[in-house]
Formats: sequence, structure tokens, C-alpha cells
Amino acid sequence: MEVVLGIRAKDGVILATSKAFTRGISVLKATDDKTRILNDYNILGFTGEGGDTTQFADYIQANIQLSTMREGTELNSKAIASYVRYELAKSLRTRKPFQVNVMLAGLDKREEPFLSLIDYLGTRVDLPYAAHGYAAFYTMSLLDRHYTPDISVEDGLKLLDMCEKELVKRFPMEFKGLLVKVVDKKGIRVVKGNE
Amino acid sequence: MVGLSFDNYQRNQYLVNQAGFKAPKATSTGTTIVGCQFKGGVVIAADTRATTGPIVADKNCEKLHRIAPKIWCAGAGTAADTEMVTQLIQSNLELHSMYMNREPRVISAMQMLKQHLFKYQGYVGAYLIVAGVDPTGPHLFSIQAHGSTDIGYYMSLGSGSLAAIAVLERDWKEDLSREEAMKLCATAIQAGIFNDLGSGSNVDLCVMETGKDAQLYRNYLTPNVREQKQKNYRFARGTTAVLSKSVFDLVDVIKEEEIVVGTDAMDVDL
Amino acid sequence: MSQQDPSTINGGSAVAMVGKDCVAIASDLRLGQQSMGVSNDFEKIFHYGHVFLGLTGLGTDVLTVSENFRMKTNLYKMAEQREIEPESFANLVSTSLYEKRFGPWFVGPIVAGLNSISSKPFVCGFDYIGCIDYAKDFIVAGTASEQLFGMCESLYEPNLEPDDLFETISQALLNAVDRDALSGWGAVVYVITKDKVVKRYLKTRQD
Repeated sequence: MEVVLGIRAKDGVILATSKAFTRGISVLKATDDKTRILNDYNILGFTGEGGDTTQFADYIQANIQLSTMREGTELNSKAIASYVRYELAKSLRTRKPFQVNVMLAGLDKREEPFLSLIDYLGTRVDLPYAAHGYAAFYTMSLLDRHYTPDISVEDGLKLLDMCEKELVKRFPMEFKGLLVKVVDKKGIRVVKGNE
Repeated sequence: MVGLSFDNYQRNQYLVNQAGFKAPKATSTGTTIVGCQFKGGVVIAADTRATTGPIVADKNCEKLHRIAPKIWCAGAGTAADTEMVTQLIQSNLELHSMYMNREPRVISAMQMLKQHLFKYQGYVGAYLIVAGVDPTGPHLFSIQAHGSTDIGYYMSLGSGSLAAIAVLERDWKEDLSREEAMKLCATAIQAGIFNDLGSGSNVDLCVMETGKDAQLYRNYLTPNVREQKQKNYRFARGTTAVLSKSVFDLVDVIKEEEIVVGTDAMDVDL
Repeated sequence: MSQQDPSTINGGSAVAMVGKDCVAIASDLRLGQQSMGVSNDFEKIFHYGHVFLGLTGLGTDVLTVSENFRMKTNLYKMAEQREIEPESFANLVSTSLYEKRFGPWFVGPIVAGLNSISSKPFVCGFDYIGCIDYAKDFIVAGTASEQLFGMCESLYEPNLEPDDLFETISQALLNAVDRDALSGWGAVVYVITKDKVVKRYLKTRQD
């Protein structure tokens, strides 16, 4: 029961992931980072089967970087989303598919804020705000109520705070808070959770 | 066709066994099909209902397939399988007859069909009645999905086969006339249409006679015509609330540059 | 996880109808994960030249299959130096689905369009392994297919003008998806005539 949350603001994208690393009934780590930086303007958040998740995210990260080196040009967010979906859909047709759900946050062509939700089946939807797993049940109502397409990153972070408070209050599992990252014109930065 | 692709098989095995998915339902022709020989020819007939579970998917589908101009086949079972297996054998039989420089034979069609179906161990769910005329005379065969075949003077297949065979059993006799055979087949199909839930709508019929072109009677009988609607349910224009509307045409509009000719005539020495 | 049917995880429905010298094709816009709605702009209608394809079923396969057809129709266009016609496209869909007979795509496709030579309206539907259902009136697909069958069977009449066909197909879709928990959340309708295509987004319930 990991949390991955994303909000697309007018001037950037927010991606938040829970910091608890859990195995069975134990929390093994409280400073986990469930994201990978793909390039200067794109990050990938992920949840799912332990092992599969990091293996898959590393694979994507390596291939995106390889593509940048080979082609001498960065892939934009839509292309990355397309590629990640393709890999998951391909993996689904193997004996042991990756059980990984991902969320891609970035600035498409270093310009347009972009958020894409892709599950382990390869179902991709580009959304203004999104969450994976049970966290969605608690947070979507708040996001539906308070989100506007012209929201700023600053207000988006306030909205995210509301979501986190709700999760702390009602989510049955201790998820050790959120690690919050923002992608905007200035690049990728951590805004909360790496204390 | 090079062969069927099993690419997604592992994925779907995973989805069914590990992820707890349920396999979906294909369209099946819960069907009545019959065939019967007469003096100098053979008739086959079918109903026209296609179902998915309890839903009638198509009220007037075609279950009579052409394998060669004078060899036709009625299909029951998984609709897609009867259609595709029949198309495959049609194509291969045509190549075979061109290679041999002879008219295709019904027995060849049957042999090719049974070998294909046997290869797929019954998983290609086609149950067929193959009939036709060739230089050796009229023939009538039935083929089961597992690859077994039967020869007969009259036969029925599909969920309505019990109703149909009763009629055939009662009325069939040796050396029927063409008209008698057509009537017998149509009656047998109607028995299926009215007594079997998987069968319905109309009767399609095909007559193959030696020395003549095969004749297909599409909707030979239509005993279930829908009554004209008493009223219409047309909605006044503007009933549906529209949020936004966009118009685009699919014709490429090529802007042609106008080339002006003849205004300034070229000076030509005469 | 309990027993779930791949064709009812994401939900969604589509319908196509024949009118007088026109056809219409429509779908809802919902994409869900079981009971939870995830997206309200997941369009299930694609077009390849002047041929329109509605794809319902498992979301991932809707995306994959639609992209596959994009590739195949582009290759067709290059080989033939013309756009594919609805009748040919229907056979392309059929053989493409049957190719995966024993490892199928979990989709319920419908095709609609006007033949560019004869201007003849064409609609047809398929089961998930490619059995073509040729219809002269209407075709339905998706999680609200049973409701759509009922709506179309009663509302439909032949030879409707484009504007009347729009009302009929819209009301058929709208009232059908309102009786299906997995469909709705917006709708889109295309009315296709010889010289133009009109795309409309409908106002729908949001529950």
C-alpha cells in the first residue's frame, strides 16, 4: 500500500511518493525514494511488486539516457510515456510480467506540464491529477473539489498538503510521509521530505 | 496465412491464472444446419441467428460459406472459426485446383478441412456440413471440430440438430426431387428455428446440381419478419445537449496556384 | 484478486448507426479501474482516413490495437496509394483479430464509414476473435451493449437525415450508459456525411 500522487499545475508538475519501504509487516526504511530521474525535465514515480519496481524503473532510466546519448536529443514527455507503456504492454505478454504501476511527470518539450498514469497492464491516461492504488480513494475527492486547470505549483503544493493530511488521518498504513518533487522550467527539485 | 500467432497466449494464461481474469465469450452460432442429397444434386440449409451467450448478436447472419463455386459449406460452432477455416480452405483449394488443372472436388475440401481441424485438436471450434458437386457427382459430408467426418444422404448439425434430424428422419426418402429436397431442408431448419433457442430468424439455402451452377437462396424463407413500427421515436432536433462541436472534412483540399497564361503574349517572329 | 473479466475492468461502450447517405459512430469517455473512474477523456473512436473505428474493452489493448491499425493502414496507404475503404478495413480488423485466435486482444471493435467511391454507408461489428457482424442498421459494443441493443432496437429507424441520426444515436447511447455503472462520464458523437464529418461532445451525467 504505497502512495504515488501527481498534480499537473499550469507552470509545473508535482510528484509525491510515500517514503516507507515495507516488506511484509515491517517498515524497513523511512527515507525511500520511489522515483527515478529520467532526464532534466522528466521523472518517473512507481509502485508495485518489490524488486520488479526498481528493476523496471532502472531499465527505463537507462534506456532513456541511452537514447539521449545515441540520438543526441532528449525524448519529450509524450514519447517517454509512449515508450514506458510499450515496455509494460510488452512485458505483460511474457511468462512473468513486471507488476509495476508508474506515473510520469515532466515538462513536455521543456514547455508544457505533463502527467501520465500507466498501470502494469499498459493502460495509459494523461491526466491533470492522479494517484495509484488505495491512496486514490482518499485523495481524488479532494483533488476533484479543489483542482483548477490554472492552479500554480505553489497552490498545488497546498492541495497536496491537504491530501497528505487526509492520508495520515484515514489511511490504515504508516507510510512515513511523502517525498515531494516538482518539475518546472527550472528543472527537477525536491521540495519536501528529504530532511 | 502463415499461421496463427500465439504471442498473447502467455499473457492471457497469466491474466487468467495469476491475475484472476475470466476469459470472455466469443460469438457462437448456436445453430441449425442441415444437408440432404437428391437425385442429381445436394442441398444445404441454415438458420441466420448468431448469439453471444443469451444475446442475439446478429439476426440475419450468413452461415452458408462458399468453398468453391460448386462446393458450399454450412457452419456451426464458434462463428469466427467457421468463417476463417472456410476462407482458408477456399483459398488453398483454389490454388490446388489451379495446380492440378482440374475442378476442385468435395472430398479434397473435406480432407483439407479435417486435417486442419485435427491439427488444432478441437480448439478451432468449427462444425461443418460440406456439400457440392464435382466431376464424380454430388457429395455430402459432415465434419466435427476434432477432425472426424461422416458421409450421409441427409444430416444435421448444431444446437438445433435434434429438432432438424427428427424432420429429416421422418420425411427423407431415396431419390427425392430437387424441389422436394429444398422443401425438406427448409422444413428441418424451421424446426430448429422454432424449437431451439440458439437458432432463429430466416432460412438460407443452397442447391448444387450436377451440370449446373450452384444456386444460393439467401433468405429463402423469412418466417420472422419484424412488424412495421406503430409509432416512431424520433427526437426533435436539439433534444441532445451539445457541449462543443467541431467540423472537419476528410477531403484533402489542395490549394492550386493560379498560373496565368496568355496575358502577355510572347513576341514571336513571324 | 477475485475473478474479473478483462472486458469489464476499464468499462466503456460504443455504437454505430446507418442513416440516409450518412453514418454515425459514438462512444462514452470513461476509463476506470473497476468501480473507480480514472479518466473522463478516454476516447474510444479512432479514424484512419475516412474509416472510423470504435474500440471498447481492455484499456491497454484498446491503445495497442488502435496503434497497430494506425501502422497497418499507413502501410496500406503507401502500398496502394489510396486510403483504405471501410469494407477492406473490416476484413483487416477481422484477420488481425483472428491471427490472435489463441491469445486474443480483449477488444470489441465496431467500424463505420462511407465508401469513398459509391458513398454507400457501411457499419459492422466484431467479436474479440474477429467474427464480422455485418449490419444494415446499427452495431453496438462494450459493457453497455445489452442496454444499447434495447435502445437501438426501439429508437432506430432507417433513412434518418444526419441531424436526426445524431439525435437518435445520442439518445440511444446516453440512455444506455446511464444504466451501466462502467460507462458514461461524457460522450462523443461523429456524424459522417460525404463531404464532412461533424464531431460533437455531449453533455452527460457525471455519476
